[in-house]
Amino acid sequence: MRRAGTLVIGALVGLLALWLLWVLRDVLVPTPRLAELALQELPNTGVSNPVTGVLLAYRAYDTLLELAVLLAALLGIWSLGAASPGFQPAGTVLRGMVKLVVPLLILTGGYLLWVGGHAPGGAFQAGALLGAAGVVLRLAGDARAGLPPVPVQRRLAVAGAATFVLVGLATMAFGTGFLSYPPAWAKWLILTIETAATLAIGVTLAAAYVGGQPVPRSGEDGPL
Amino acid sequence: MLDSLALAVSVPLIGALLVTAVPGRVQGLGLLAALATLATVGLVTAEVWQQGSLRSDLGGWGAPLGISLAADGLSAALLAMAALVALAVSVYASGYFSRGETETHFWPLWLLLWAALNGLLLAADLFNLYVTLELLGLTAAALGALTGTRAAVEASLRYLLVGLLGSLAYLLGVALLYTAYGTLDMALLGAAVRPEPIAGSALVLMTAGLALKAALFPMHFWLPPAHANAPAPVSAALSALVVKAAFYLMLRLWLDVFAPLVTPWAAGLMGLLGALAVFWGSWRALRAERLKLMAAYSTVAQIGYLCLFLPVLTALPAGDAREDLLVALLLMALTHGFAKAGLFLAAGLVQRSAGHDRIDDLGGTAQHMPATTFSIGLAGIALIGLPPSGSFVGKWILMRSVIESGQWWWIPVILVGTLLAAAYVFRVLSRAFNLEPTPRRFVTQARTEVPALLLALTSAAVLGLAARPLWRLLGFEGGL
Repeated sequence: MRRAGTLVIGALVGLLALWLLWVLRDVLVPTPRLAELALQELPNTGVSNPVTGVLLAYRAYDTLLELAVLLAALLGIWSLGAASPGFQPAGTVLRGMVKLVVPLLILTGGYLLWVGGHAPGGAFQAGALLGAAGVVLRLAGDARAGLPPVPVQRRLAVAGAATFVLVGLATMAFGTGFLSYPPAWAKWLILTIETAATLAIGVTLAAAYVGGQPVPRSGEDGPL
Repeated sequence: MLDSLALAVSVPLIGALLVTAVPGRVQGLGLLAALATLATVGLVTAEVWQQGSLRSDLGGWGAPLGISLAADGLSAALLAMAALVALAVSVYASGYFSRGETETHFWPLWLLLWAALNGLLLAADLFNLYVTLELLGLTAAALGALTGTRAAVEASLRYLLVGLLGSLAYLLGVALLYTAYGTLDMALLGAAVRPEPIAGSALVLMTAGLALKAALFPMHFWLPPAHANAPAPVSAALSALVVKAAFYLMLRLWLDVFAPLVTPWAAGLMGLLGALAVFWGSWRALRAERLKLMAAYSTVAQIGYLCLFLPVLTALPAGDAREDLLVALLLMALTHGFAKAGLFLAAGLVQRSAGHDRIDDLGGTAQHMPATTFSIGLAGIALIGLPPSGSFVGKWILMRSVIESGQWWWIPVILVGTLLAAAYVFRVLSRAFNLEPTPRRFVTQARTEVPALLLALTSAAVLGLAARPLWRLLGFEGGL
C-alpha cells in the first residue's frame, strides 16, 4: 500500500516535471531579465558585489524578513523543550583539531563578511561558518556549542533583524524613506547591518543545532 | 517622511525582537507592542480612507528592481480587522497563559506572526509574499504546538509540512512568472500577463499551494486537528486570520494579476470546491464531539463560502452589481474573522473552566459563565448569517448576484449551508442552556471574557449595521 502510494506520487511529480518542461520550452533561453538593470544601478548601492547589492539594497526588505524567519525557527525550537545533554568530551586528537579549526572558521567568517562588499561572500556565508564553528564545538563535547549564556544568546539572535529594522526606521526619520540609504552612508550602513546579521545568523544556527532551551552551564560542561 | 506601510510591519517586528531580548517583561512589552501596532494600522486605514490607495517604494528603488508595499481598501479593511482581532487575542492571552515558560514562548512568536500578517496584506511583490507566507506558516505552526501535548505537536508538524508544500507550489509558480515576464511586481505582472500555458501553469500551481494553506476542500484535512489542539488564543488567530491571509492572496491573484486568464470554468471549479467545503465542513461541524473541533470545521465551511464568490465575480461585468458583491465578500471575511476569533476565545474559557470541551457534557458549565455563553451565541448568529450580522448582508448580496448572473445552482448551497450552521450552533446552545439556575454575575473574569464578547458582538451586531463605510473604503459609490 505504502509502496503504491510512493509510486503514484513519483508518477505525478514526473508528469509535473514533463509538463513544466513543455511549458518552459520557449522561455528557457537565457535572457537577462532584471540582471542588466541591476548591474546598471549597482554603483548607486554602495557595494560592488551584485549579490550583496540585491540582498542588502534592492531587496533589503526581503532579507530583513528572512532574518525574522530564522529567528522564528529558533524560537520554535526553543519552545519545544530542553536540549539533550550533548556528546561525550572529545579525545585528545579531536580536541587538538577543534582547537585549530574553530579559530580558523571564525577568521574565515570575518574575512567573508568583509569581502562580501565586492566579491562573493556576505553575512549569510559568514554566519554559516560561525554556526559551523558552534556545531564542531558541540560535537566535541561542549553542551552549549561555545555559545554565551542564554540572556546574551537571546540578544545576539535578535541583533541582525534589530539593526536592520532600526537602520530602516532611521533612514525613514531622516527623510530618505524606509531602508533608503543615503549614498554617502550606504557602504557603512550595509557593513553594519551585515556584521550584526553575521553574529545573529551564527548564533541562531549554532543554537538551533543545540536543539532546545539551553541548559544552565555546570562544571562538567566540556573540554573547551 | 512617515511611511505608515513600513511602520505597520516594523512595529510588531520590533515588538517581537524586544520581547525576545527581554524575556522578563514579556507581557507588558507585548501588550505595548500590540497597542502600537494597532495605532500604525489605524494610520494606514485612515490614509487609505482619505487617499484611496497607498504605495511605498522601499529603499527608493521602485518596481521592478526593488520591493514596494501597497494598500488599498481591501487590504486596509482586512488589516484593520486583523489588528482588532489580534489586540483582543493579545489581551486574552495576557490573562490566559499563566506567567512562565509558555508565556515567554508565546509573545515573540505571536508578534512575529502579526508582523508577517501585516507584511502579507501590504505586499505588492510576489517573492516578498513568499517570504511573508514562510514567516506566517513557521510562526503559526510553532504557536500551535505550544500546548505541548502529543496531539498538538503532531497536528502542528503536519500543518508545518503541508504549509511548506503549499509555499513551495506557490514559489514554483512565482519562478515561472519571473522566467516568462521578468518582473515580480504584481501591478507590472498584471499588465504583462497573457493567456498562455506558462501563465496558466503558474496560476494553477499558486492557487493549489494557497488552497492548501487556506484549507479549501478537499485540502482541509490538516486544519481541524491543528486548530482544535492549539491553545485557545492561537486557535482564534489561526482560524480567523492565518487561513484568511491565504485566501486574500488567492483573491488578489485571481482578481488583479491573472484577471485575463480566469475562465468561467476555472472560477466554476473553485465555486464547486467551495460548495463541497460548505456541505462537508458544516456537516462535520454538526457531528463534532468537541466545541473547538466544531469551530475548526466551521472554518472549513466558511472558506467555502468565500470561494463561492469567485464564479459569480467572474460572471458579473464591471459595475455596481460587481462592486456590491466585492463588498459582500469582504463583509463575509471580516464577519467570519471576528466571529470565529470570538468563538474560539470563548471555547477556550469553557474548556478551561470545565476541564474539557465535549459538547454533550457542557450542560451547566457554560451557564456558569453567562458572558462566555452569550459570546458563543453572538458568534453563532454571525456564523449562521442571521440579521443584523455582517454575514447576513453578505449572503443577501451574494444570493442577489447569483440570480442576476444566472447561476441559480449556488442558491441551494447557500441555503443548506445556512441551515446546517444553524443546526450546529443551536446544538451547542441547547446544551449550554441546561436546567441549572442562572448565576448572578454576567462577567466572571473580565480580562479573558470581555475580548471574546467584544469580538462576537462586532461580528453579530456592528458589521451588518455599519457596513456602509466599506463601500467608501473600497472606493465605490453605492451602498445599502
